[in-house]
Amino acid sequence: MKLHVRGTTYEGRVVDLRCQGVRAEAIAKAVRGECVHPAVDAQPPGSVYDYCGHVHPEMGLRTKTALAAAARSRGHETTHDDAIAELRAELSDLDRAEPTLPRARDPIDDATVAERRESAAEVRGRLAAREALGAETAPIEERMRETARTLAECETERAAAVESRRQRRDRAREYRDRQAQRRRLADRLANRQRDARRELLDRIEAQFVTALREVPGVPTDNQPDDPFEAAPVPAALATLRLARTNAPVILEADRFSSPVAAANWLGAPVVRC
Amino acid sequence: MLLVVTHTREARRDLRNVCRAHEACVVRQFGRAALLSATEFGAFQALRLREKHGLDVQLERVRTFEPEDVPAHVREAAQAYENRESRSTPYRQFAAGRDLPATDQLRGEEL
Repeated sequence: MKLHVRGTTYEGRVVDLRCQGVRAEAIAKAVRGECVHPAVDAQPPGSVYDYCGHVHPEMGLRTKTALAAAARSRGHETTHDDAIAELRAELSDLDRAEPTLPRARDPIDDATVAERRESAAEVRGRLAAREALGAETAPIEERMRETARTLAECETERAAAVESRRQRRDRAREYRDRQAQRRRLADRLANRQRDARRELLDRIEAQFVTALREVPGVPTDNQPDDPFEAAPVPAALATLRLARTNAPVILEADRFSSPVAAANWLGAPVVRC
Repeated sequence: MLLVVTHTREARRDLRNVCRAHEACVVRQFGRAALLSATEFGAFQALRLREKHGLDVQLERVRTFEPEDVPAHVREAAQAYENRESRSTPYRQFAAGRDLPATDQLRGEEL
């Protein structure tokens, strides 16, 4: 790793920054690629790093999740992996966006159409009467064309309103069906991930118990019965010992005789802060 | 009445808050749905939810429904079937030997 802090460049598997007054959190962030200062050139972190990349006395730890990630970093696979990949793919294929709906139109009620139809019929009747009498029909014909036109417009507008309403409802329904499907898939994915984690833990638990026992500086009479209930710092150190970590671990705990001893025990590059 | 159905947790939470704050316009509240009174105020509350949550809030108009609103043959079929002697007889079989409408026939008829 290469680390540039306050005008000094550090290089090597172990870097001791104890006298530099650097915020360990900032370096952990830089390793994760979340910020550019301080400049860090190191192997990219795996998912174990999210849980125990920065070991310090105030940390919390989701031990089981971190251990499952550690098992993954060592190449462990589970019988659920194919199903998980499939479910993930299905989920990402589902369109999550809300559809755009066709423009809403003001509905035209039956009464309006009936009224227009009636006046068109009335004008037609008057025209027929005039024709029968042999009277002048031109102005009435004009009126008839006018009423026929407004009737046609009104009917078109109504059909469009009905169609738009139908489309709006159909699309909303499809969207909700899709969302329901997404929720079902997400539930199944969560269940599978839980099962996979259990499988990984079964495989790694014995090694974790051993590693936990070997963490320097833990009084043996103070260990809880359930290894997964161990205090965050020793649990994180034991997890890191099991994991394959190429990214530098940020260490803020007085557990080891020296940063080099820490790096050797953890099997990972170390930045001691 | 107006039926408001919510399809996300956030929308459901807001519906619950609306129901709590404006009890007078709530006819009935179910888990993630509620019946609001068919007033402009009920519609106002429903539209607020729709505005905030988009299509994750479904709005429907609900009309009253009584058995008498349904053709007699449907009512009689329901009554006869629920009073059948053998509980395990499926409706298809039950209707076959009697003067009752077939399932497909019922499905094909709009109310």
